[in-house]
Amino acid sequence: MLKISKDQIGELLNIWAKGAKVFVPQENGGTSQFKAWEGQGKLTLGEGNALEPPKDLFFPRTETMYRYRVRDPEASLEELAPLEEKRVLVGVRSCDARSFAIMDDVFLTKGYIDEFYRQRRENTAVVALACTTAQPTCFCTSFGIDPGRAEGVDLQMWPLADSYLLEAITPAGKDLLEQAAALLTEAADEKVPAAAQPSLTADVGGVTEKLQQMFEHPYWEAVSRKCIGCGACTYLCPTCHCFDIQSENRGDSGYKFRCWDSCMFSEYTRMAGGHQPRPSKKERLRNRFLHKLQYFPERYGKFACVGCGRCLDRCPVSMDITRVVREVKEVTL
Amino acid sequence: MSTIQEQMRTRARELLTSGEVKMVVGWEKGALWYMSPPAFITDPAEVDRLVWDEFCHNNLAKYLLDYKFSDDRLAIFVKGCDARGIIRLLQDKQIEREKVYLIGINCPGLKDERQGAVLGEDKRAELPLAARCQGCRHPAPVVYDELLQDEGTAAKGEVAATAEDRFTATAEVEAMSPDERYAFWTNHYDRCLRCYACRNVCPACNCRECIFDRSQSGWCGKQMNRSENMFFAITRAMHVAGRCIECGECERVCPEGIPIMTLNNKIIKEINTLFGDYEAGLDPEAMPPLGKYKLDDPEEFL
Ligand code: SF4
Ligand code: SF4
Ligand code: SF4
Ligand code: SF4
Ligand code: SF4
Repeated sequence: MLKISKDQIGELLNIWAKGAKVFVPQENGGTSQFKAWEGQGKLTLGEGNALEPPKDLFFPRTETMYRYRVRDPEASLEELAPLEEKRVLVGVRSCDARSFAIMDDVFLTKGYIDEFYRQRRENTAVVALACTTAQPTCFCTSFGIDPGRAEGVDLQMWPLADSYLLEAITPAGKDLLEQAAALLTEAADEKVPAAAQPSLTADVGGVTEKLQQMFEHPYWEAVSRKCIGCGACTYLCPTCHCFDIQSENRGDSGYKFRCWDSCMFSEYTRMAGGHQPRPSKKERLRNRFLHKLQYFPERYGKFACVGCGRCLDRCPVSMDITRVVREVKEVTL
Repeated sequence: MSTIQEQMRTRARELLTSGEVKMVVGWEKGALWYMSPPAFITDPAEVDRLVWDEFCHNNLAKYLLDYKFSDDRLAIFVKGCDARGIIRLLQDKQIEREKVYLIGINCPGLKDERQGAVLGEDKRAELPLAARCQGCRHPAPVVYDELLQDEGTAAKGEVAATAEDRFTATAEVEAMSPDERYAFWTNHYDRCLRCYACRNVCPACNCRECIFDRSQSGWCGKQMNRSENMFFAITRAMHVAGRCIECGECERVCPEGIPIMTLNNKIIKEINTLFGDYEAGLDPEAMPPLGKYKLDDPEEFL
């Protein structure tokens, strides 16, 4: 195993930034976000995950899909250049690493491939950072995620007092280590630190089966009362992936874009003619939990929650998915 | 005399048991010690869920809109800012006074929950006052049907802030050069997720259909980019101008930590300069400055 001094992390990022665009959690207006590394910046690689999940880097908040021009009687389409930028994503926690596998299911399987997502995903190397301290809202271990070692990443890092240990998992990870060989030394005595132990838990066993019988249960009315129907939980969730497609026109030309959408909004699922099959927050909140805990497991065989705790942390009314799981299992049918 | 929390539970039990109200809206303990989210109690057996502690932030007034078309009478607890929210909704003709029973609490000022998450429970006693409570000038409710009394904290509910305190952050931004100011606001609003938590929590945001829920109208696009985000920020600030009750809930709930009150306070300051000092949500008879016409209104721009 190799190690690098924490003082040299900036140099390490500079080396990787020569061949790719490097994204790493940095301080921004009091929050922590994956931002492009431009030689300097306040890294937030200490305790706790970035406020915004890295999903934006594969599935941006807003992206243009194509441009068009209509000049009667002709119309033309302009395709966008392929997304070829190489990226290295540094400091991804185990929970977010699992979220990539969940997003892959959505955007790359079941006979449909989302080209925008695929290109970004294939051009990105992921460097994980293990957690040694959990935040009060973390509960990743409830989904069998190991905060001490991420799944499906190229390189794993562990924090020590004043250095990081590094282990390449894939050839891409090995390549990253080779690029930085001059900064790395052999870790002789250092041991991989103990993984974080989140104190929050959710016993998710059997919850899907229970939910399958609960669509019309009065529980949803009661649990949704405090929800204010904002998009904070879904937009900060690393696995929420709903989007809307709209166009923006100026004169005879315009572009189609897609942007994130949220099942908590009144516009979502509103149909032409005004019918809204999810007219109140009861149906909307129910959909959010059913999607994560029932529909996704039914379709892809895994939960669409990774226990990152961002929803609980930032929800204006502290809606707690672990409590919902517990109460769902308790209510009588 | 019993604590506020004990009185809360007693009164909730009485009101529900007697059938005077169908539901009591208060606060309960959330997943973690620094969370006290809203609670909706309909069964007298559940009144012991109610709590009163330094994290009972949520302004409960806004929830009355959810029950606007119900015939049931509700009871809700009101701190200073919740009570101003009630006045806001009454003045905007959103709720009927007879349908809500208000139980007032003199607020001692609440604590910063985010700091709670960072510092840990050991430091609970040392947590700073929440940002939104630092400039509060009306911690005692301005409207209520009954007021809970707490001898232990009898001195609380007093005004700590001066009229100018709440404009400190706004003055700092005013002192910037135009370029610095542009950088300040764009840096913040580039992060805006357009989650609308600020709008949804706001008692002044009570339009039946919000402009931002009509993305096909062409007013504000659904793109999350600088131009649309800034349009959103300025439009919302202008839509609550003269009606914002300064509860600070918008800024507290913003998941991105955007200093929304710095913008709201700028507008309040300008309104005070142009139309004379006005505080929204205090006097139901005092019309909001932008909601009334006076012959001697300033009109320098005409
Ligand atoms: S659960 Fe919380 S974050 Fe999600 S929509 Fe409801 S209030 Fe907003
Ligand atoms: S539902 Fe909440 S805890 Fe689960 S992945 Fe999404 S944000 Fe994280
Ligand atoms: S949820 Fe687990 S992996 Fe994610 S930040 Fe918390 S401890 Fe780390
Ligand atoms: S709460 Fe914050 S992030 Fe959400 S829409 Fe309002 S300003 Fe934007
Ligand atoms: S704009 Fe903010 S401070 Fe003003 S009433 Fe609305 S939530 Fe309260």
